[in-house]
Amino acid sequence: MFNKVLVANRGEIAVRILRACHELGLSTVAVFSEADRSALHVRFAGEAYPIGPGPARDSYLRIDKILDVAQRAGAGAIHPGYGFLAESPEFAQACEDAGITFVGPQPSSIASMGDKAVARATATRAGVPVVSGTESEGALRDEDLLALAPEVGFPLLAKARSGGGGKGMREVHTLDELPAALTAARREAEAAFGDGSLYLERLISGARHIEIQILADAHGNVVHLGERECSIQRRHQKLLEEAPSVFVADDMALRQAMGEVACKVAGAVGYINAGTIEFLVDEDKSFYFLEMNTRLQVEHPVTELVTGIDIVKEQIRIARGRKLSREQHEVELNGWAVECRINAEDPHKNFMPSIGTITTSIVPTGPGVRVDTGVYSGYTIPPFYDSMISKVICWGETRGEALLRMRRALDEYRIVGVKTTIPFHQNLLYSTRFMAGRFNTRFVDEDFHPEQKELPNPQLAAALATLVAHRQGREAAQIVQRGERDTSNWKWVGRWERMRR
Amino acid sequence: MKYITTVGEKTYAIEVNDDQHVTVDGKTYEIDFLSVGDQSIYSLLIAGRSYEAHVELTNEAWQVLHAGNLYEVIVMDDRAQRLAQAGGGTLALSDEFSLKAPMPGLVVSSPVDIGQEVEKGDILVILESMKMQNELKAPRTNTVASMRIKDDDSMEQNQILVVLN
Repeated sequence: MFNKVLVANRGEIAVRILRACHELGLSTVAVFSEADRSALHVRFAGEAYPIGPGPARDSYLRIDKILDVAQRAGAGAIHPGYGFLAESPEFAQACEDAGITFVGPQPSSIASMGDKAVARATATRAGVPVVSGTESEGALRDEDLLALAPEVGFPLLAKARSGGGGKGMREVHTLDELPAALTAARREAEAAFGDGSLYLERLISGARHIEIQILADAHGNVVHLGERECSIQRRHQKLLEEAPSVFVADDMALRQAMGEVACKVAGAVGYINAGTIEFLVDEDKSFYFLEMNTRLQVEHPVTELVTGIDIVKEQIRIARGRKLSREQHEVELNGWAVECRINAEDPHKNFMPSIGTITTSIVPTGPGVRVDTGVYSGYTIPPFYDSMISKVICWGETRGEALLRMRRALDEYRIVGVKTTIPFHQNLLYSTRFMAGRFNTRFVDEDFHPEQKELPNPQLAAALATLVAHRQGREAAQIVQRGERDTSNWKWVGRWERMRR
Repeated sequence: MKYITTVGEKTYAIEVNDDQHVTVDGKTYEIDFLSVGDQSIYSLLIAGRSYEAHVELTNEAWQVLHAGNLYEVIVMDDRAQRLAQAGGGTLALSDEFSLKAPMPGLVVSSPVDIGQEVEKGDILVILESMKMQNELKAPRTNTVASMRIKDDDSMEQNQILVVLN
């Protein structure tokens, strides 16, 4: 049984995990790169040790350095968070070999689910429908993929076998587009995952991306915590998530069917700890297995808010060999939760990353608002890592209340110094189609055009800019004037008083 | 002090009369205006209505972010307006365009060569930053005059990558 946990991550998720550990009375160890000395996770942790230069491959991806710190600090467990080494079977194995508990699934489960082809075959064997694709053919060369493409059918997706997070993925509508898409996807996959192998998968149009959170302990118990709606994506990157899904809503049969299938997939690989099974759900409510994420998800808080279950604490509980805190019939969904991912990207400039110092950060608070962040006023965002700097999560009794609360929270949020995706979310929360729940995974890319709308108040903007310009011009003039007056204020007063005599 | 202020295609004649009054297109408003917390966030009360916006100057234009909407605003005082009109002839737009790094990053590849004709929208450089590969494109049809980069170069923000002429 461990009492000290090393968090092998950074940013908001490292802070999130530290909080769970501290609430459980566990000691904590942070690791940090040279670029992260001032990061919040370093400041929050009980102990913190440097592990190398800024680029992730020299620090947060260095299994040897992280294990070395764990052993020196006497940490009995390592929580990998998401990204970095979270889905590396080598890392999970290395922890096991070093006698350190890995807060996550066994290396074999990570390996079988990490390879998309193996994962899809596992799902098929478990009787779960998958979208048609070429994964059973193994690693293919471009010529083979080109030959197989017409069989899969267009439109299709070229996807990295080791992919995730929308990287190493390209959409292809015709055979002519395929060669360029394969080159681009391979390039990105090699850079991101060190594996350029690809497969093709039929693209289901009009589908929603809905996923099921599961928890499994070492005693053979598996429960699901309901679904999350993740269809609001831009270029396959999730931007906003909800729990439950407006598409599933009151359809208890669908929720139960998806939940049972998710538990079955987890059972098929003897899964232990928290995991997520992603599905595509078409307009007829048929659902297809997409992939399994063998880790904590970015969007786990929405499930926490509607179930009241702290997923990170549950992960630690499972890693300590204890039974799940609840059985399936004790899992109840209460109300609605929504999460907006706040990225340091400029939504007015094609979501270009924005790097700089956050001069002001006023975080929204008040009823039903939770903010998970790793940044603060005065923090400089390094260029080496993911652009997500914060998550705003709101709970409401109904979807309407949760969304209106999110509008209110985003209106209060002030981040100055870098551009963020807050304006994107504000516009989304005024889109009638989104509010009505009529959207699928194509919505943001195809049907949402906030830039085309007429800006509502140009006169106000003109007045504000002019007032600021005027004030700054005047201040500049005053500085010059002060310098020009070569007499001290005391002398000035004396002269003025003499004049009045 | 009088200003000519432009937002997109709309132009406003604005006069800042004193600290409490501003006249926009001939109509005078009573205002209470202050910077909140010594930052680029400003609070404006107009006849009791409260507005808060983020206002900053970048590349000669003011960026006003209010309620999720971004406005690009150009503010010219009388003098600047006259100067601009007088000097307008000499400020001919140069054909040269320097592509600068919009953020620090690593050059993944640059699919163009010196002397190559590029069309508007052609990819000039792929720059990796924050785990994303960003395709930087040509703003207009032109010729590549010089390449200041090679693959795997590490770039600072605003460093010149490619010059078109």
